[in-house]
Amino acid sequence: MNTEAMSLQDFRDMLQQMSSDVAGRDLTDEDRVRRAKKAFAQKLNGHRAVDMDTCLQCGMCAEACPFYEATQDERYAPVYKFRPLRRFYRREMSPMRWFYRPFTRDITVADLKEWQHLVYDACTGCGRCDMICPMGIKISAAIRVMRHGLAGAGFVPSEMRIIRDEQRDKNTLFGVGPEQLKALVQKLGTQGINVPLDREQADVMLLTTAIEILLFPDAFAANAKILNKAGADWTIRSDAFEAANVGIITGDDPTMDLAVKRIVDKANACGVKTLLTPESGHAYQMLRWEGANEMGEPLSFDVLSMPEFIAAEIKAGRLNLTPQSNGASVTYHDPCRLARKGGVMQQPRDVLAAMGLDVRETPANRRENYCCGGGCGEFVLKSAAELRQKAFEIKKNEIDETGADAVVTGCANCRVNLMIGAENSGWDTPVTSLVETVAANLAD
Amino acid sequence: MRNDQFLGEYLRMQGVSRRGFLKFCSATASLMALPPSAVGQVAEALATARRPSVIWLSFQECTGCTESLTRSHAPTVESLIFDAISLDYHHTLQAASGYGAEEARMAAMEENAGKYLLVVDGSIPLGNPGFSTIAGISNLDMLKETAENAFAIIAVGTCAAFGGLPRANPNPTGAVSVSDIITDKPIINVSGCPPIPVVITGVLAHFLTFGTIPELDALGRPAAFFGQNIHDRCYRRPFYERGQFAETFDDEGARKGWCLYKLGCKGPTTYNACATLKWNGGTSFPIQSGHGCLGCSEPNFWDKGGFYDPLSAGMWGSRDALLGAAAAGAALGVGSALAARSRKKKAQAAEEV
Amino acid sequence: MTLLEFASGPGLQWALWIFVFGITWRVVGAVFLLARKDLSKPRHRNTVRAGLGAVLSRSTPAHAFEKKIRFQHFTGYAWHFALFISVLFFAPHILFFKSVLGFSWPHLPNTIIMVTAIIATAVLIALLVRRATHPVQRFISNADDYISIFVVLVPLVTGILAFAHFGARYETLLAIHLLSVEAMMIWFPFGKLMHTIMTMPARFQAGTAFGRRGVKA
Repeated sequence: MNTEAMSLQDFRDMLQQMSSDVAGRDLTDEDRVRRAKKAFAQKLNGHRAVDMDTCLQCGMCAEACPFYEATQDERYAPVYKFRPLRRFYRREMSPMRWFYRPFTRDITVADLKEWQHLVYDACTGCGRCDMICPMGIKISAAIRVMRHGLAGAGFVPSEMRIIRDEQRDKNTLFGVGPEQLKALVQKLGTQGINVPLDREQADVMLLTTAIEILLFPDAFAANAKILNKAGADWTIRSDAFEAANVGIITGDDPTMDLAVKRIVDKANACGVKTLLTPESGHAYQMLRWEGANEMGEPLSFDVLSMPEFIAAEIKAGRLNLTPQSNGASVTYHDPCRLARKGGVMQQPRDVLAAMGLDVRETPANRRENYCCGGGCGEFVLKSAAELRQKAFEIKKNEIDETGADAVVTGCANCRVNLMIGAENSGWDTPVTSLVETVAANLAD
Repeated sequence: MRNDQFLGEYLRMQGVSRRGFLKFCSATASLMALPPSAVGQVAEALATARRPSVIWLSFQECTGCTESLTRSHAPTVESLIFDAISLDYHHTLQAASGYGAEEARMAAMEENAGKYLLVVDGSIPLGNPGFSTIAGISNLDMLKETAENAFAIIAVGTCAAFGGLPRANPNPTGAVSVSDIITDKPIINVSGCPPIPVVITGVLAHFLTFGTIPELDALGRPAAFFGQNIHDRCYRRPFYERGQFAETFDDEGARKGWCLYKLGCKGPTTYNACATLKWNGGTSFPIQSGHGCLGCSEPNFWDKGGFYDPLSAGMWGSRDALLGAAAAGAALGVGSALAARSRKKKAQAAEEV
Repeated sequence: MTLLEFASGPGLQWALWIFVFGITWRVVGAVFLLARKDLSKPRHRNTVRAGLGAVLSRSTPAHAFEKKIRFQHFTGYAWHFALFISVLFFAPHILFFKSVLGFSWPHLPNTIIMVTAIIATAVLIALLVRRATHPVQRFISNADDYISIFVVLVPLVTGILAFAHFGARYETLLAIHLLSVEAMMIWFPFGKLMHTIMTMPARFQAGTAFGRRGVKA
């Protein structure tokens, strides 16, 4: 079994080969509209209702969206991205629906088709629009409901559908399953890195992602080193290791719930006290903030991202980092779902500073940070390639402005996207991982 | 004075000097907003005018209009006018009474058919003719009868012009104005409660001078006196603009003579000459004396909100109705939300793959 | 009944009734859709503070966005301040509010009100032009947006005209002004003007949702 890290080129080839033409399920137009409406009805609640009834149509959200900024295409205004949802809400669920109905167009299958591009290609759910709205509307949440509707109507883009089906039916992702994890664990064992695989009971359960296993096994190894150094009582399960959740990426609730359930059930069975998410933005969002809601009850364990864990271990004295003396400068790219949507912003910086690195901030940072352009699984979509690259250019310019020697990030998806963007534009600033940097600076 | 005698002749006989007569003519001219050059025309017209017959009918009234008109302490414009007309019938002022008085009225009507002026004060009750009668004749009948051959009608006071106090909610007597009953004669509404005396005499003077009805506004009032509202001519207007208001009748603002808008002054929507001509020979007018304008020259002024409620408070009704509206809205809101939630539940229950 | 009597009497009564009824209906109907309780473990217990914080903080843009939305930010404030001063601090208006609410507050001189009313009108027209010409706003705007501007613009203009006694008889101007305000009150619950009420709950819920995750909304 090949346990070497896949090259970026091979990964890109693999993505390229994913078909963008796989026919979805066979549904009539009426069925699609009905299913979209059902999906909308499932997700509309008091919060979304208040949001939609507050929108001023001021258009400021466009000024926050990297896709609008990169193209000046007004269709990419975030408020427009959930327009069919608003029409549905007004016509069928808003308090004054009887008044609005005669004046509001019903949604059509043509609308849903048209919105597929806006919602999947031109939106990563980064939530920057949430931050600018003077009314405090959670625009990204409404766009997420749009995804849900499009998924229900069978309009998930082909590439995403492929990996969704794979995760749902085979419990693998990009062909990465238990066998691949075991092979990697074995290989790390030969390098002196111990990974306690498949323990029945443990305090800490680590997760990983297919991308980590394929492209960034060093990040996985780094996590193992950190945990071992901190003396944690930990494990990783070959039957519940995949932190990535294609359900949230596509807007497919059953898959979303299923992927979460697999992990939570196993963590409960192992008596886990702390669940650790690897370098992945949406994994943190899914487990830390949405897991309990998916399961219908509070989680019986804490969910921590690696930066939080590392910072806590340093504070407790169980981890020490060697300050670097070369005064290298870095800038930290905040993954949207870890920072703006997750609340983990300070710990990565503290950890980097603890290693003596000169941490420089991009003009837009922390909760206002620019999306890498490829988050939320968008990197698989060929139809989004051009937009992604344009959004990446904005991020690239921000990083260049800092003059930092390297960019560090805490999400494998961001990392891949930054690397692909760099390759496309001939950018030579190194893209590195937080955990790998920490693992390389662990004091004895 | 005989009816066929010229007024000029009559005045001379009364001892009014030429100079006094011309003074009267210039005062009259300026009252009617005529230029100084018109004084000669007024003098000529009045000198050669014949004293017209005037029949004054008093219906549901308080006699305030007559009181206003006759309050004079010395020879004034008002009294001269009385000398200029032949007041052939007036309950308060006439010497005759009983059948004699009614006969005088009928005689005047016959002799001056088509030429006499009918002055009316007080409203006319339509609810029951018995509410107000004169010599056993109902107000309605007497008005119709007397108006038939009149040249024109002057409705003096807000009661005659618009119905006035008796017409106020709930109008128990079914009171109406003169113009509600007579529709085929020219009517000049000289409203006010009471009207300013010189306004009444000014109308008469115009009639004497030109033999015609003066220019009227949309409510039939002489535009010369009712063409501008109190607010625009009020000397306290600068305080309104600067936002200095009396909040109570005895506070610092009241004592300093600040604007009375907050205390219910209806000046902005009231048209009359009070702010310029004033009362009691130009002594004062309500606002100057520290009380807001009641709007007494306007129709329905008794029912246009309280006298002490500011104009902009509106007459929109009760606050309780609004509480009811909120309750109704909340109920509908809950109902619509519950219906939406049930749809949501149904959508969540049926999960297709 | 004259036009003014209708406008300040039954017209106003009905408009106020629909205003209150409609607003309550819409707010309750939206909020009462409710939402499932968030079962995740919050970083901060006291999310109410975060909610209230967002109500205030969203009044100014975050640093990264300042330059981009500068025009809208400043004209938006100019518009709202000018409008509020004209509506809320003109003595005759305050007396009307007192008749509805039962309490009043100090007023400003009329000349200041005249200035702010003219500023408000000018700014609103500028914003209307922007909405019709700026690519994003023009693209996303619909009838509701334009009607909402119109029903506020007419009371402003007619109010200025009535105040200046310009254009027709004062009673007519005043009646038209009142009727235009009544039209606005009737439209209010059904259109975008509801943002006046909704802004608070929307910002508040953003504050609590982000606050529980440790992010300043």
